Amino acid sequence: MFSVSATQMGVVAGALAVAAGAFFDVRPPDAYGICMACHGRDLVNWTINAATGTHLAVAQASLVFPVLTTVGVLLGALVAASTSGEFRAWTPDHPVKTFFYGLLVMNFALIAGGCSIRLLLRAAAADAEGLVGFAAMAAGVTMGTLWLRWRASR
Amino acid sequence: MTAAVATLVIGLVLGYVGQRSRMCFVGGIRDFILVRDTSLLKGLAAFALTAWIAFPLAGVATGTRPLAIGLADAVTVALTIAGGFGVGYVSTLANGCPLRQHVLAAQGARSSMTYLVGFFAGAVVFHVWVSPALVRLLP
Repeated sequence: MFSVSATQMGVVAGALAVAAGAFFDVRPPDAYGICMACHGRDLVNWTINAATGTHLAVAQASLVFPVLTTVGVLLGALVAASTSGEFRAWTPDHPVKTFFYGLLVMNFALIAGGCSIRLLLRAAAADAEGLVGFAAMAAGVTMGTLWLRWRASR
Repeated sequence: MTAAVATLVIGLVLGYVGQRSRMCFVGGIRDFILVRDTSLLKGLAAFALTAWIAFPLAGVATGTRPLAIGLADAVTVALTIAGGFGVGYVSTLANGCPLRQHVLAAQGARSSMTYLVGFFAGAVVFHVWVSPALVRLLP
């Protein structure tokens, strides 16, 4: 099992994200190569639409077939974890709390037009809103971290 | 169809390297503030730099012009700021960005599995309730 540094992962992900939009039809919208929130939304909404005939919104890139990033990431990580012996079932500390964290992050991401990855990707594509969104996200992470540290220090 | 197959393959690669590297797109900033650890932050910078260089190169290769630069209307910008801040803040409390949560769920973390259930339920909640409410309330 070879190990991968975060820097190498960043380079691979950045190159794949651009290539997806430029060469593999993962567009429009622009800078849509990787987004865990929007791609997950596309898959969920597309599946519900196909099953029940509703018209929940999906991105134009996912109109005919949904983008399958979510499925790929889960499978890829499962393969990596199993082959390296890092797979183990942990029990949750607060299942209800994490459920609502997930729900909130998805809603905030769809309001902002991207998860943490796509906000950075849009910023790299010289999209001014992407840059604004990423800066706001960095501020949010900073506030969240300071809050966690303050709570831990009491 | 191309997009579906391509994103499946890209997802497989991302999931694999994401698990091996423990990469997290909010963890870099968090680790730097808490313990001055820059390994994940370097990953964040590497992602941004690579994409920043690759976008114009891909534009040349495919013959498309770069995006016209210009900020959208004030409401969209305000929503982007509010949403971006929320993504960062709640992701920090949840202990990882959405990508990291997918990876953790795949390697057996049940708390990340309930996160993902909420995540996907959130997509429906957004399009059924939140989005119409925003359209009605905002100018």
